[in-house]
Amino acid sequence: MNPALEHSFVELLEKHQNIVHKVCRLYTNNYDAHNDLFQEITIQLWKAYPKFRGDAKFSTWMYRVGLNTAITLYRKSKRSIKTQDYAGVEFKIKAEDYDDTEEQQLKTLYKAVHKLNDIEKALVFLYLEDKDYKEISETLGISSVNARVKMNRIKTKLKTILNP
Amino acid sequence: MDELDLLKKDWNKESSKKKLSVADIYPMLRKKSSSIVKTLFYISIAEFIFWILVNSMPYFTSDEYKQRLEQVYHNDQALTIITIISYAIILLFVYLLYKSYKSISVTDNAKKLMESILKTRKVIRYYVLYNLIVAGLSLIIGFYYAMHYNPEISSKFSDFTDTQTLKAISIMVVVTVVFVLVIWLFYKLIYGLLLKRLNRNYKELKELEV
Repeated sequence: MNPALEHSFVELLEKHQNIVHKVCRLYTNNYDAHNDLFQEITIQLWKAYPKFRGDAKFSTWMYRVGLNTAITLYRKSKRSIKTQDYAGVEFKIKAEDYDDTEEQQLKTLYKAVHKLNDIEKALVFLYLEDKDYKEISETLGISSVNARVKMNRIKTKLKTILNP
Repeated sequence: MDELDLLKKDWNKESSKKKLSVADIYPMLRKKSSSIVKTLFYISIAEFIFWILVNSMPYFTSDEYKQRLEQVYHNDQALTIITIISYAIILLFVYLLYKSYKSISVTDNAKKLMESILKTRKVIRYYVLYNLIVAGLSLIIGFYYAMHYNPEISSKFSDFTDTQTLKAISIMVVVTVVFVLVIWLFYKLIYGLLLKRLNRNYKELKELEV
C-alpha cells in the first residue's frame, strides 16, 4: 500500500469526518451502530480513493460514497445490537444549550426523521447539507423534478408525524 | 418556520462534535468490509464450488459410477463432449459474474449502484437455475435408465401393473420436483434476506420516476 496515498486520504477524511458522522447519525440508532457504519463508510471511501481524481470536491465525493454505503452496501453487523436510544442520549448531553420548547421540538423532529425510510432520509440529509436539487438528483439517480416533488412530500409527511 | 429549517439550524451546530484523530482513522483502513457486495461475492464463490463438487464428485470418487455413466452414454466421446460443454458453461458464468462485479462502483449514483448489484444477483440466479435444471434432468434421466438398464429394477418394473408403473413414475416426478423446489426455496431465503433492504430501496427510487 502506498503510504503517501494513505496519508493524504487519512488527512482528508479527518478534515471532513463530520459528513460521515452525520450520515451515521441519520441511519443508525445507537453508538455501536454509528461506529460500525462509520467503519464501513471509511473502508468504502478508502477502496474508492485511488480512483478519486480531484476533479470533484472531496466532500461531494464523500456524500455519494457515504450515502451509497448507508442505503445500499451496509449490512448491519451483529455487533450493532440496539442498546440506547441515540436521540435520547444526544439531548441529555445538550439539554442546557437549549430552552425547553425548542429542545423538545428538535427531539421530536429527530425522532420523526428517524421514522422516514432510507431514501427519504437521503433526501433530507442532502437538503440539510444545503445541496441543490441538481446535486440531490445526481446523487440518487432521479430527476431534479422528482427530487423536488419527493422533498415536498417528505415535508408534508414530517408535518403529519409531528401533528398527528 | 418550516420544520426542516429548524432542524437545519441545529444540524449545522452539531458539527465538530465527534472528532476522530488521524491515529484513530489509520487502523480503520485495515479492517475488512462487511458490505452486501462482499457477502454476495462469497456466496457466489461458495455456489460455484458447491455445484462443481456436486457435479464432479461422484465421477471422480466412484469407479462404479464412472463405468455406469460410460455405459449410459455408450461411448466416451459423448461423455467428453458433455463434460466440455458443462465446464464451458461454468467458465461463461464465471466471466459474466466477474464482469458484473467489476461494474459495481460505490461512486455511481444510488440507483445505478443498486442496478449493478441486482444485475450481479441475476447472473447468480441464472447459474443456480441452470444447475437446478441440470440436476432435475439428471434425476429424471437417472430414473429412466435405472428402470430400463438396471437388471434388478427393470425386472421389478416388468412385473408391475399399469397403475403400479404410473404410481412409481408419479413418485419419481414428485421426488424430483420436491428436490428442486427445496433448493430453490433455500436460495430464495438466502438472497431474500441479504437483499431485502436493497430491493425495498430500489423499489422506492423506481416509484419516484413513475
